[in-house]
Amino acid sequence: MHPALLQILAANPQSGVALPPRWGWYVILYFFLGGLAGGLLAIAAALDAVGDDRDREAVRLAHRLAFPLVLVCGALLTIDLGQPLRFWHMLIKSNRFPEPLLKPWSPISLGSWIVMVFAIIAFVEFLGTLADAPGDNAGDDVLTKWAWLAKFRRDTLVPARERVRSWPSAVHRTWQALAALAGLALAGYTGVLVTGTSRVAWHNARLMGALFLLSGASTAYALLMLLLVRRGRGAADTTVRKLGAADQWAVGFELLVLALMLISLGALGRPFWSGGFGVVFWLGVVGIGLIIPLARHWIALGPGEHGVTRAARCVLIGGFLLRVVIVMSPQYPAVPLWHL
Amino acid sequence: MAKGFYTDTTACIGCKACQVACHQWNDIPAAEGGRTELSGDSYDNTQTLSAENWRHVKFIEQITEDRTQEGFLQGSRWLMMSDVCKHCVHAACLEVCPTGAIIRTEFDSVFIQQDACNGCRACVAACPFGVVDIGRDGKAHKCTMCYDRLQNGREPACAQACPTESIRFGDIPDLMKLADARVAQLKEQHIDAYVYGKEDIVGGLNAFYVLVDEPHVYGLPEKPELGSKNVDEGFALSGVAAAALAVTGLVSFRKSRMDEKAGAATEDHH
Repeated sequence: MHPALLQILAANPQSGVALPPRWGWYVILYFFLGGLAGGLLAIAAALDAVGDDRDREAVRLAHRLAFPLVLVCGALLTIDLGQPLRFWHMLIKSNRFPEPLLKPWSPISLGSWIVMVFAIIAFVEFLGTLADAPGDNAGDDVLTKWAWLAKFRRDTLVPARERVRSWPSAVHRTWQALAALAGLALAGYTGVLVTGTSRVAWHNARLMGALFLLSGASTAYALLMLLLVRRGRGAADTTVRKLGAADQWAVGFELLVLALMLISLGALGRPFWSGGFGVVFWLGVVGIGLIIPLARHWIALGPGEHGVTRAARCVLIGGFLLRVVIVMSPQYPAVPLWHL
Repeated sequence: MAKGFYTDTTACIGCKACQVACHQWNDIPAAEGGRTELSGDSYDNTQTLSAENWRHVKFIEQITEDRTQEGFLQGSRWLMMSDVCKHCVHAACLEVCPTGAIIRTEFDSVFIQQDACNGCRACVAACPFGVVDIGRDGKAHKCTMCYDRLQNGREPACAQACPTESIRFGDIPDLMKLADARVAQLKEQHIDAYVYGKEDIVGGLNAFYVLVDEPHVYGLPEKPELGSKNVDEGFALSGVAAAALAVTGLVSFRKSRMDEKAGAATEDHH
């Protein structure tokens, strides 16, 4: 056994010696895109519930993105399996088809169902955006270009949406709450999945779920702001300002939770903040991802749209690098970054 | 009745017959096509449990500066330990497995059904002993306690092959009595021996050991925890974060609207 591992064992009697699960780029991308998709659906539900007509474009954008993103997530999870064709074993008992299989105490089993439920809700919301009148939203040109889709929209989606709209508001509120819950669950469970292992740094990081959830939300806010500004909604736009205000809170909480997590981990958190990954952590995650966006009013990021888009880009970069550091560093603490 | 292994490490001579028997019976191919890669810090050439080594005899070379030996297991000594899946009473791998591939058998052993495993690797990350590994076929592998042999009334290949009876197989209570007696015998010889794997270690191990040094010397955790131990707390703290996000999000979304309304009202007033 490696001498460094023996030292860890000697110093930490509570720890286990789990082998690295060889989580790599597929898992990192999944954690990032899953957080983004979850955040988008939750934000859309909240904006839909308390926002106004001017926020409609942001809601629609979020719904247009959440479903394709979760499809990518599903693909990433599938190709990461040692036996990809057995992906359905995560949900169905392979020896008692089609009996469902759920172990609520296992984060990976629960997570598989969260992804499934999320995908269904995101799909319904995605169809809902297609029922909207073709306008200047992303992908709307497809609605008019593809005849079959235009027909499907006219004959099926639009009447279905009209029927749904006639339902009592309590149903809509419940649906929004479900969508928000599914989004938050998708963004957060991946962190708890990490906590539910026996790798020392992961196992003891009880705040990882909270951290991933906050990061998922902050990156989703950032992506929406970025896209809205790109679509001509200026920095002074009401929706952009709303998202910006909420993002400041999310990033602030994220910094707080990250600090609390590192303090609670003490020396066990060393893989995250020292060595080669330490550079990425301090510069990329803390500096670019959290401090700069939080201090954007005081740091010269540029006025107006430039300031907003630069801060949003920083949040997205930081959110991605957070997953890189958290996933990679406890598995490969001594491996130079360029060898990954 | 729960079956298991009792491994008396003080009787192990490091012959690796158990490893060879395991490979032969289970038809496990050699790692790296049989190419031997020396670690450089031990005469142990297989180094660790893996998808290809379900048994692994650890060599722990404790050589003093003057290289003197003062009797049985005193002074300079080589500790040998035939390591294996612990078939834990509370098995982290079984608990976390999302496909139901990992089951507990009628012998109380923990078994991976190869036709159900999809290689998600959750068990690899969960096992606090670093036992489960992914093979070249993309599926999880570890000791089966020779389930096929047990079903036919035979003992596992490793226990049968062990020439010094370092590895014993049988009913857990009987084995535990043997282990306690051996510890008492060693203590009479002033050797600080103890049983590793009683109820204090994840509810008990169905493969337990008599050791004569700290667990970490053997690469074993002193007080391992199940991976799931912090999961409930993790979800609860995520819930707190979600609530904070929901409140600040809704307030931010509403506040802008309220500010606008207040602004409009002020303009109307003027």
